[in-house]
Amino acid sequence: MIPAPRERVWELMNDPKVLKECIPGCEALEQVSPDSFRARVVLKVGPVKAKFEGEVELTDKIHPESYRIVGAGKGGVAGMASGGAFVKLDEEAEGTRLSYVVDARLGGKIAQIGSRLVKSSASKLAKQFFTRFSEIASEGATA
Amino acid sequence: MYETKYHKASSADEAARLLAAAEDGKFLSGGQTLLPTMKQRLAAPTDLVDLSQIDAMKGITIDGKKITIGAVTTHAEVASSSELRDVCHSICDLAGMIGDPHVRNMGTIGGSIANNDPAADYPAAMMSLNAEIMTTKRTIAADDFFVDLFETALEDDEIITAISYTVPSKCGYAKFPHPASRYAMTGVFVSKNVDGTVRVGVTGAGASGVFRHEGMESALAGTWTADALKDCTVDANAMLSDIHADGAYRANLVKVLAGRAVASSC
Repeated sequence: MIPAPRERVWELMNDPKVLKECIPGCEALEQVSPDSFRARVVLKVGPVKAKFEGEVELTDKIHPESYRIVGAGKGGVAGMASGGAFVKLDEEAEGTRLSYVVDARLGGKIAQIGSRLVKSSASKLAKQFFTRFSEIASEGATA
Repeated sequence: MYETKYHKASSADEAARLLAAAEDGKFLSGGQTLLPTMKQRLAAPTDLVDLSQIDAMKGITIDGKKITIGAVTTHAEVASSSELRDVCHSICDLAGMIGDPHVRNMGTIGGSIANNDPAADYPAAMMSLNAEIMTTKRTIAADDFFVDLFETALEDDEIITAISYTVPSKCGYAKFPHPASRYAMTGVFVSKNVDGTVRVGVTGAGASGVFRHEGMESALAGTWTADALKDCTVDANAMLSDIHADGAYRANLVKVLAGRAVASSC
């Protein structure tokens, strides 16, 4: 629940600066087109620490209700990772309700070691993303 | 082959200094998780600071009912300590069930809890025994120490020096090991304290790592029998779900193993 109008939350959800700050481990995010970005992300789960270069895209946009945020990247010998979330905004009396559904896939070596924990790690990272996003959006609303 | 500098620390202070001086350093204890991860190139620290030879962090001290285990004490040492077995055999049994002989001879209690793998055995015991985790900076209660999957309250340059706990009046551990890795598919540690309170620590099952089950704690505080758990419920949606076992299966294991842990406790 974010105490801000839906239009404002939508704006923030499309702001590269906000996205960079919310993506866990994101070191750089560069806009290449209105809906796509080049990203460098350090994925850190337990003993694993791998640097991924990849792209973040916003697709299936329905202004100002929902979009899908999809990321895919290569982490050198570590393997590849891709994941995304379907994000939905609902207008309510106290502000905007944000809900999301996450999916994630790994390939290469990181998948052999990581598959035991892909789902729970993905939901943990998503939780970090949306917790941070709610904080930023709430701050923005009161500022 | 990439290069890693190896440093052997002789004190926790020295280890902290060595890590601070490294570009991207990592503490090494038994290395049973970190080294396989490095071999797979999933982590490539520039420096490794070995804690395993720090004498002040080794060994088991028993003072009446108060147990203190140094952070770099291996699972094999805990499993084979006859002094510890005399006062609290469940922790020895648990250590003897970890991994295989290689893992037990190298792996340490500090490394196990600092990594906080959601399927590691020790975190369940730490939670259930209400252990204190002593570090180079402070003492942290187990309830506050384990934060989430692979995440603890430790800061990057903070080192666990020892853990300590008071032996409860009854305790027991039961686990269902993965047949290949011996990681806990689910493991439950139960303990009943002198004042009648009960703590139940569950590992391997929760989607956010180790957790306590309050429903079972109050049921067992009433009657300390496996039968007392029959009306307890475990939320399958809060469980890990993977190729080995889905959430509902793990939820059932939690209940079954809690019962076995109680039945085997003494």
